[in-house]
Amino acid sequence: MDKNIDQIHKEALSDLARAIDIESIDAISTRYLGRKGIITQFLRNVSSLPVEERPLAGKKANEVKQILSQALADAEKKIKAQNLISDEGVDISLPGRKPERGSLHPVSRVMQEICNIFSRMGFDIAEGPEVETDYYNFEALNFPKDHPARDMQDTFFVSDDMILRTHTSPMQIRMMEKKKPPLRLIAPGKVYRCDSDITHTPMFHQVEGLMVDKNISFGDLKGILTVFVHQMFDDQTNLRFRPSYFPFTEPSAEVDIRCVICKGSGCRVCSDSGWLEILGSGMVHPNVFENVGYDTSKYTGFAFGTGVERIAMLKYGINDLRKFYDNDLRFLGQF
Amino acid sequence: MKTSLSWLKEYVDVEMDASKIADALTMAGLEVETVIDRYAFLETVVVARILEIKPHKNADKLRVCTVDTGKDKLNIVCGAPNVQEGMLVPLALPGTELPGGVILEKGKIRGEVSEGMICSKKELAIGEDDGGIMVLEPHLTIGEPLNNALNLCDPVIEIDLTPNRPDCLGIIGIAREVAAFENKTVQKPETKLPNALNHIKNFTSVTIEDPDLCPRYAACLLTDIKVGPSPFWLKDRLQSVGLKPINNIVDVTNFVMMETGQPLHAFDFDNLAENRIVVKRAKNNKTFITLDEKERHLSADMLMICDGQKPVALAGVMGGLNSEIEEKTTRVLIESACFNPTSIRKTAKQLGLHSDASHRFERGVDPDGTVNAILRAAQLMAEIGGGQPVEGIIDEHPKPSSPHIITLGIPDTNRLIGTSLTKEKIESLLKSIGFITAPIDENAIAVTVPLFRVDVSKPVDLMEEVARCVGYNHIPTSFPLIPAKTGVHNPHIERRSTVKDILLGLGLTETVNYSFVHELSCDRLRLAENDPKRNRVKILNPLTEDQAVMRTSLLPGLLETARRNISRQVTSLKIFETGKIFMGKDAITQPDEIEMVTGLITGNRERMTWHADPQTVDFYDLKGILESLFESLHIENIYIKKCLSDQYPYTRPGVSATIHFENQFLGLLGEVHPEVLANYNLKQSAFIFEINLDSLLPLIPVIKSSADIPKYPAITRDITIIISKKSEAGQILKTIDNLNDKLVETVQLFDVYEGKPIPEGRRSISIRITYRSQDKTLKDKNINGIHQKITDTLLKEFDATLPV
Repeated sequence: MDKNIDQIHKEALSDLARAIDIESIDAISTRYLGRKGIITQFLRNVSSLPVEERPLAGKKANEVKQILSQALADAEKKIKAQNLISDEGVDISLPGRKPERGSLHPVSRVMQEICNIFSRMGFDIAEGPEVETDYYNFEALNFPKDHPARDMQDTFFVSDDMILRTHTSPMQIRMMEKKKPPLRLIAPGKVYRCDSDITHTPMFHQVEGLMVDKNISFGDLKGILTVFVHQMFDDQTNLRFRPSYFPFTEPSAEVDIRCVICKGSGCRVCSDSGWLEILGSGMVHPNVFENVGYDTSKYTGFAFGTGVERIAMLKYGINDLRKFYDNDLRFLGQF
Repeated sequence: MKTSLSWLKEYVDVEMDASKIADALTMAGLEVETVIDRYAFLETVVVARILEIKPHKNADKLRVCTVDTGKDKLNIVCGAPNVQEGMLVPLALPGTELPGGVILEKGKIRGEVSEGMICSKKELAIGEDDGGIMVLEPHLTIGEPLNNALNLCDPVIEIDLTPNRPDCLGIIGIAREVAAFENKTVQKPETKLPNALNHIKNFTSVTIEDPDLCPRYAACLLTDIKVGPSPFWLKDRLQSVGLKPINNIVDVTNFVMMETGQPLHAFDFDNLAENRIVVKRAKNNKTFITLDEKERHLSADMLMICDGQKPVALAGVMGGLNSEIEEKTTRVLIESACFNPTSIRKTAKQLGLHSDASHRFERGVDPDGTVNAILRAAQLMAEIGGGQPVEGIIDEHPKPSSPHIITLGIPDTNRLIGTSLTKEKIESLLKSIGFITAPIDENAIAVTVPLFRVDVSKPVDLMEEVARCVGYNHIPTSFPLIPAKTGVHNPHIERRSTVKDILLGLGLTETVNYSFVHELSCDRLRLAENDPKRNRVKILNPLTEDQAVMRTSLLPGLLETARRNISRQVTSLKIFETGKIFMGKDAITQPDEIEMVTGLITGNRERMTWHADPQTVDFYDLKGILESLFESLHIENIYIKKCLSDQYPYTRPGVSATIHFENQFLGLLGEVHPEVLANYNLKQSAFIFEINLDSLLPLIPVIKSSADIPKYPAITRDITIIISKKSEAGQILKTIDNLNDKLVETVQLFDVYEGKPIPEGRRSISIRITYRSQDKTLKDKNINGIHQKITDTLLKEFDATLPV
């Protein structure tokens, strides 16, 4: 016997440590455990040892055989596992197979956002006709015929008595005719004015709001509209209310917010005033309540209206109103 | 409405600067649009010294001056006789915008370079000419801008007045508002007419035949007038608010109108037949020539100012050419009247003639201001026109107005505004803007409305005044105490939003197009003469031809959008729109407004990628989008039918189909007809769908019940049959469906093949049937029977053969 079993054990393990592939593991297996392998030979030669050494040598050699077999199996498993993932991989920098995505028009997006804010405050949503009668668009809203207040809104006429609605306010009348107070609703939709330049398109979108109940005050109008502005922009946005005139509300108020672009220091968007007008509002005029048969001694309410495009322009930094209706996909695709 | 700060200061002793006044006016409801210093142009007019004067080579009357601006020595050509060496003069540098709008440029004057302009007072609109260029005081600093050097600054405040505030269409009205927030009093100019010998009643008379349209008419007369240009101060005042000086008489009427808000008119008394005034409707008079020399067509109801024989003015709108003030005029009759606002507005609208006077009358003038204004005008004309007033005035006042007295409840006021103001506080606020108050009891006051506030007639009008005086931003912000409730759910709006979301997910982008389209849009869509889509709502006053009628289809908008995008190299589009179409009825009935969803796809199916070659979209891309839409909406049993050839003439025959649910027509899909493409200048094929949303949305089930996941495995079998190309492959699926066998789970059509070895006129169709039982694992023998039955049925029904 040239070597003792301990030495064989040591050599086998060190051979195995150097094995890098299945082939070299196979070779080690043959070298030590094969038919003519070193350990096989050793075991065969145990019978030639002195009788008293035989049991111990045999036991030890069998142990080594077992350890080595296990080590070989482990090494093989490890290399096989490595082989499974040791491909070259992929060029992760190539563009993915991207499903095409459509975009919601910014006007729809903002309109939905406005509706959501008021929905959370318990406002119903209603829609109505765009070709409207003179009665709903003007008369019932306290715009008498031949009154200069009618000049405030350039009107598209369909006939003497029918027009394209110039605001969403007719929905106030339509809804109040249908329902008794209390009432909380908003009415989004398209409106039309006979005006087209950099700051006007002949069609645009408004959201109307109306709240009627006992004891609704101008202070409440301020409260609800402040919540709206804070949710629409952020709750640091300053507001101011200033007197104005709409025939269907009194007191009437325009609502300005601190310019979201320059934060009040003055810029082109706010024409250096630091403020941006975003809502018209006021307490519902008693004449309007009378026109729908509401008891003016019992109920008060407020109404408001806001231009959707205006808010979209501020929210998305859009500088030209006409982009909304040009429908250039390179513009729409950004939303 | 405009006022300069200096003019405003004539009536109220304000201390705030213009921008503070502007802010305060805005917050009081008189929204200030702009504040512009009318002397700002003097920034580039500098004090300069004339160093040397040489004759001009090519012009006797011109001279060439070398001028020191402190920075440069400039060459200036000048024609004024009074230039002298050493003199300080105002020099306008190139870029200066001179009054009148001319922008000064560097240039050559008769061959000599001139690098600016030495100006006269008149050229700078800061005074009258006094023999040439303006000579400045020698102590001024050379190089200093003239506005600084002469302390010239007069901001002009422009207010965007709302129609309810005609009281502020005179500067005194604005002064009243300023005085209220500045705690000052308004000083009105004193008006007194000197005594004269003759009484006006000996010269003229005023007869009001239609007092419903003219509640008051005052007249006064001046003799010995010399018509000529106004003095500088008067011209300057008018120019500061953008009015053009005409002559001393007309200028005075305009000045007093700007001051008081009362429009005045001056007649040449000697052109008034019978020297008298009659106020009456036009009746038989058909035409009239106004001051602007235009012939106006009258209608019988228009109110006219007439003399003894003929109309001499369109009441409250514009005077007549036949009685205008001319150079030769020596006797002037001044009119100061009150007209019915509606009548004036109708006249002005009908004639398309909007004047400063009609603007005021249609909003309502102070009936109490009539006499004051006429006295003021007479006094000024006497002063500057050298006129002799005739004693007294005529003041016909058939319908005197008495002031409104309104009972204002204090608790009501506080309840509406959301304040807790005391009675005393409310009284003092109202008094500050000219209202008179008297207590009634502890909860109410009686408020007398000054006549100039024509907009105030109800308690709520006073409440607004109170809120305005408190300042809206000082009113406490509160929240209404109301029962908790969430908004009522509106299924139509929610479902529309679901449809949009699905289409977005399918890669379509939403567009929003105008609701009005071109008059020719129906022709462009090849619609038949009797097509219901031709019943359109026409707009009487469209802005452009493109926007002349309300749309009866969303297609024109989408086609235009496609054309625009393609022309900008965006050639692959998948777009849709939801919106209303307007089906016209008769002239007095509102149209049917129907909500549609319409889509268009064109160009490549996918953008160009490294993993696939781009392919253009076809009918099946479109159909797939809709199938996916209906599936996502859980609407089952939708089917499509091939269109008859000319049923929808904007689609290509053979490549279009209608969409149905049970017996209900929902819409259509198809390829756009080549002629329609050409009409919209589109050079690539496009596919469209249009669906009636009002019909579709109610079909969306509220509850969709789900089925259990199958427990047992399925068996699939394929069949390929060869059928005539004329048979619709979709019928195969329907036929199997009609057999209604419980074991058939799904049928998929997975291959269509034409060409060798399939005979001409036929094609092979391959389908895969999945069989599954709900209660056991199927074996071949369980399905052999049904599969054979299906095969036999198909072979028979489609006259089909099996592949060899």
